[in-house]
Amino acid sequence: MGSWFDYTVNGIVIGNIYALLSIGLALIFGVANLINFAQGSVFTVGAYLGWTAIHYLHTPLPVTVLIVAVGSGALGAAIERFALRPLHQRSRIAVLLATIGVSLVLDQTLQLIFSAEPRAMPSQLPDWRLPIGGVTIGAIDLVIAGFGVTAAALLFGFLRFSKLGWAVRATAQDPDAARQMGVDIDRVNVAVFAIASALGGVGGLMVGLFYHSIDITMSFDATLKGMVAMLIGGLGNVPGAIAGGLILGLSESYGVALFGTSYRNLFAFVLMILILVAAPNGLFSWRRELPPEPMTGTFLAPSRPLGLPRGALYALIAAAALFPLVWNQPYLLQTLTNVLLMALMAFGLTLISGTVGQISLGHAALLAIGGYASGLLALDFGWPFVASAPAAGVITALLGTLLVLPALRMTGHYVAIATLGIGEIVALVILNWSGLTRGPYGLSGIPAPSIGSIELDTPRALYWLTLALVVLFGSLQGRLLESHLGRTWRAIRDDEVAARAYGVEPLRYKALAFAFGGFGAGVAGAIAAHLYSYINHETFNIQLSILAITVVILGGLGNVLGAVLGALLLVGLPELLRPAAEYRMLIYGVALLVLIRYRPQGLLGTA
Amino acid sequence: MSLNRRSFLISSVAVGAAGLTAGRSLADEPIVVGVSGPLTGPNAQYGAQWKDGFDLAIDQINAAGGPPIQYVFEDSQSDPRQAVTIAQKFVNDPRIVAELGDFSSTASMAASPIYNRGKLLQLGITNSHPDYTKGGDYTWSNCVSQEDEQPSLAKYVIEGLGRKNLAVLHLNTDWGAASKDRFVKSAEAAGAKIVATEAFQPGEHDFRSTLVRVRDANPDAIVLEAYYADSAVILRQIRELGLKQVVAGVGSIYSPKLIELAGADANGVYTQSYFFSEEPRPEVKAFVTAFHAKYGKDPDWFNATAYDGLIFISRIARQYGSSREAIHEGIGKIKDLPSVVFGDTAFDPVTRRISGPHFVRLIVKDGRFVIWDGVKPETN
Repeated sequence: MGSWFDYTVNGIVIGNIYALLSIGLALIFGVANLINFAQGSVFTVGAYLGWTAIHYLHTPLPVTVLIVAVGSGALGAAIERFALRPLHQRSRIAVLLATIGVSLVLDQTLQLIFSAEPRAMPSQLPDWRLPIGGVTIGAIDLVIAGFGVTAAALLFGFLRFSKLGWAVRATAQDPDAARQMGVDIDRVNVAVFAIASALGGVGGLMVGLFYHSIDITMSFDATLKGMVAMLIGGLGNVPGAIAGGLILGLSESYGVALFGTSYRNLFAFVLMILILVAAPNGLFSWRRELPPEPMTGTFLAPSRPLGLPRGALYALIAAAALFPLVWNQPYLLQTLTNVLLMALMAFGLTLISGTVGQISLGHAALLAIGGYASGLLALDFGWPFVASAPAAGVITALLGTLLVLPALRMTGHYVAIATLGIGEIVALVILNWSGLTRGPYGLSGIPAPSIGSIELDTPRALYWLTLALVVLFGSLQGRLLESHLGRTWRAIRDDEVAARAYGVEPLRYKALAFAFGGFGAGVAGAIAAHLYSYINHETFNIQLSILAITVVILGGLGNVLGAVLGALLLVGLPELLRPAAEYRMLIYGVALLVLIRYRPQGLLGTA
Repeated sequence: MSLNRRSFLISSVAVGAAGLTAGRSLADEPIVVGVSGPLTGPNAQYGAQWKDGFDLAIDQINAAGGPPIQYVFEDSQSDPRQAVTIAQKFVNDPRIVAELGDFSSTASMAASPIYNRGKLLQLGITNSHPDYTKGGDYTWSNCVSQEDEQPSLAKYVIEGLGRKNLAVLHLNTDWGAASKDRFVKSAEAAGAKIVATEAFQPGEHDFRSTLVRVRDANPDAIVLEAYYADSAVILRQIRELGLKQVVAGVGSIYSPKLIELAGADANGVYTQSYFFSEEPRPEVKAFVTAFHAKYGKDPDWFNATAYDGLIFISRIARQYGSSREAIHEGIGKIKDLPSVVFGDTAFDPVTRRISGPHFVRLIVKDGRFVIWDGVKPETN
């Protein structure tokens, strides 16, 4: 009994922090209808700004908070003005990608300035601790709770009573109508980003003070947890975000109490999926809201795909096939093999996200299933590669479709967040299901790919194998897109209601797309597993999912050739940038931003 | 930081230039070592620490005369995809005679088949995963396997500190799980009881609820199988929660950073290390002095093991020749390798690791690591 009280106190303490993370995200989502992936980076910038102020200027806490709020607020305004505004009215998905690019640039800049080593955050608060039950709370816990409540109250007052606040709410309800009523939307957006970023930055400072240390890897986790908390409270609902943070904190704490620490995140993501299925508008939407605006149609920028004449395509394939005979350079071939593997992965995703319009942020989970399926079949049952890889494709198609079933009825951002959650659940199940997957040890000693008795262990053989699969899956997908199936998929994307009116059952077709995409991803995962010989639950992680969606968006949604081009750029570019050493990921981020800026509809356009 | 980044760029430019000059004279042709490790991404701090160690080794080798040595550091982000690409690059770059790294076992073990097929020595400088050197005849490590370290830690906690009911907190990675499993085995064999094991994810920062679970299991010692950054956060929260148990940790928590991050809450923590910067061995003293002169801070084990790795390659090359095959032949044969971490040492050609490592038992007292005085802590 006593312990349950302790778990509750701990849950509230950590929930306060999640609340802080999600307020900013919710505010931006409410107004700009955007999941801001850069929010976590702004949070980390805030932490480092605070550290700098305390370390060099020895500022007292209120002054530090002020410096951090102003600094991060200015950063937020700059992000809106220079990275996101130029993309307005062009493509909503490009804006999402731009926030990923901004996040990359911010994280890398911080790392170059401050190095990756964690830093001790000097304590600025009295050192007393108040025993409550069997645990204690300290001054910082109270400050964080006080800050959260104060920030929410100020925000509430601002939205309710100030003129700019009215403009913000009007824009959130209907940007076009607000513009017609004379609201300066640009000003509203800048204000919203500045406020959300100031809150995020101060949140970073508080969390740094709470843990007594800060490091640059805080960003991603902060975005992830903030997103889950926001979703529990209802997308874009600011007071809901605070409650969502507390609920997430409590459920994690109880999850640890019941199942142990390794189940903590699993518990959080399962809760998120349950809420998505049962109450997609969050737990705190009393009014029945309009169904979320589909990302399809409006989500895609109008553009004509750039095609390639058939002859040129054949010539290109022939050149790619013959090229290693002329230039057998293993490093280059390995890089190209990685590019082709990424293209194979992106085919399925460009079908799901581009052609059918279901933005998936959990695609790497399909590779993980395929990799583990083929690896385990080979290791435990001695299956040859030619049998285990296709079997992995089938298993992934079945399992992947089954897993994604709860997300099929959702639309827009909900699909994105649900697939992200499902992806994390798959990784955590792999980690915790030691009996099947060997848990954290991963699979080692997976044999190299082979056909019959021929081992495909040279870079050239692996290159040809992946090239053959890319050509096979690419042409298959191309044919599918031209068939009635392709037309039906595009019809669902462009207008689900109209498609339904024509007698199309969207769920079945969506499931079909996931099955086809899952098969390709499963085979790609299998090849990767046999290529690396060692995989674990982190080999196919969420960063890979985000890279894959970046490839798809950059190449042009739904565009098969675009997926290959996107893979070539995004996998090849970091290799080309090798001489830049520590600077390469920064340059990569900037290049990504520039590409989105000038080709928001993707390099080869939407197919 | 900025200083050694510049020196790195200079050395990599120098390597590039050396590759271009057509007529290479044999006498002062530099030995080039490839390094695959994280310079960006979540593990970038360890890559930076390696570089501090490498640069110091290079200064000393090149100042001492003999064949100069250089390294090419390729950023893998500890990502297996990039590590295999780098492996292909190194294997097919004739200048490179040996490879050091990668950092994570995922990345290192993914690259091992390529190094083994390409017959290029892969020397893991931080790979304590017990399966790492099983990757092949060309995969070696100067890092002690958890197979050796954990029994020693168990002995320290049970016999040295007199604890019997242990709670283990471990990182939920292959490294952490391997460490935990070996610790539990040794501890149970020695008659201790494991009352709780809790696995946490890398990047986890909140341990309060975990520690309530640990508290309810009533241990008389808490054992940490984690790196120093996570351990510092755990130590803070152990004390904030008011837990009074003895805390002991695996050697990877030994770093000046632990004390910097955990502050006074690090006091009283027990650990063991085969490298301790205040150990009175002359080679340690010389290394610490030189490191301090170059960087103005104390080295930790990551610096020392990287330094050792490069010195080893240089020694082997001097004795057995600087071709790939000569270095691979030499690593199993060479005796009396000068090592900061191990003293004079040698590789065991069967396990392909350092044979017979010794550990120094440490405790944190008044914000410093000192050698443990052998006094058992009072029972709590």
